Amino acid sequence: MWTRESGGLVLTFHLAGINNQNFLMRDDQTGSYWQQITGEAVSGPLRGRRLTLVASDELSFGLWAAEEPGGTVLKSVPKYASDYEKKDWEVRMKKARTVLSFADPARGLEPRTLLLGVQAFGASRAFPYDAVIQEKLVLDRVGADPVLLVVGPDGESVRVYRDRIPGISGHPAFYRTLDDKQSHPHDPAWLKQAVAAPLLMDEATGSEWNFQGCAVSGKETGLCLEPIEAIKDYWFDWRNYNPKTTVYIRRP
Amino acid sequence: MPAFYDLSGRPIETGFAGAERKEKKNPDHGGNSLMERSSRRTVADPWFLIPIALVSFTALAYPIYVIRPFRHQGPRELAAALEVIQIRPPIELVCAICALLGLFWYWRVQPLDSRRRLAAAGAFLVCTFAVLSRVNIFEMMFHPDTHPLFVPIEQAKVDPDDMVMAVKLGGMAHAYPIRSMGYHHIINDVVGQEPIVATY
Repeated sequence: MWTRESGGLVLTFHLAGINNQNFLMRDDQTGSYWQQITGEAVSGPLRGRRLTLVASDELSFGLWAAEEPGGTVLKSVPKYASDYEKKDWEVRMKKARTVLSFADPARGLEPRTLLLGVQAFGASRAFPYDAVIQEKLVLDRVGADPVLLVVGPDGESVRVYRDRIPGISGHPAFYRTLDDKQSHPHDPAWLKQAVAAPLLMDEATGSEWNFQGCAVSGKETGLCLEPIEAIKDYWFDWRNYNPKTTVYIRRP
Repeated sequence: MPAFYDLSGRPIETGFAGAERKEKKNPDHGGNSLMERSSRRTVADPWFLIPIALVSFTALAYPIYVIRPFRHQGPRELAAALEVIQIRPPIELVCAICALLGLFWYWRVQPLDSRRRLAAAGAFLVCTFAVLSRVNIFEMMFHPDTHPLFVPIEQAKVDPDDMVMAVKLGGMAHAYPIRSMGYHHIINDVVGQEPIVATY
């Protein structure tokens, strides 16, 4: 997700091309072409400019609705709704052909392995999505900086935070307090209380933290962890734009 | 009966009869219209349209060839294709104008209908290339949502386990269902007075 302002202009974008299965956008105002994944203008009068990333999440609708009851949802366009992706689109997409590969069987990476890509602190790291979902909480590093990947109470949504608590030296260890076996991820009433409830505790202060990364009890109540942007992407695409990426390997 | 004879005794014809017979023996002499003179010359085929059509077609087809789904794009060919797209509008316009002007001239000098039709077809082809170069094939495959509308959660036809892209700016929260974003790919939006573009 990007801002639409660049150099004083508010740009309007159109789908205009494809570059190794990552699409190109063209803006109406200058005719420049922009790469979707990098937000960089690759051709035209604004070539070389970069759009500013806007913080966003990819969440289940149920969890998002519980967090943002006053939010609004993009309405489908009736005449195109029959062309929208079907419920099993992710399963079908896994079998779709890619023009790039970067397959790495030794690390269990196929071209369409789904992952969470993090670009932060001058480094890139890929976290296989299935591994994160299974572990529920991943404590790792991107570059030299510690991060934690947290799976939400819905069992599907993931957020990434910097593992640093102001005033606490080092990076405290966190552990998950939510009993996922007792969760009802698609029950709106259960989700409503679950999004506000704690699901993590840090070992340094004993504070409890919710899925928004904010402490809801303990010494750090009211404090929030620094969110880190992550994108869900396929391995071939992530690797194409992050050639020096490292990959998280799930602990046995 | 001729009134005069030359020294060898051949009759010299005068008057209208003489002029008409001379006209028949020497048809060029006394011919008045451009068309009459032209009809007696051979006019070449409209070869001049070929280079115009080639340039116009290349400007149209090269980017389509390079930038197409399920094909690997090398960095240099992609850069070249995008440059062609940038300069294509004036190229196509010039080609179309040249083709039409050429057709106008050719139509005037070429008496044969078959050649005229050939030239017209060539000019029409060039103009067609120019029109096609303005067509966004990608938006024909994936129609844009040019006026996105947002509804309250209770009116949204989205299942709880469907994934959404979510953003919150200036106290305003918007969600974009992935299943519809996978079709439209781009939504130009304003959230909390901030112009943003959601892409998928």
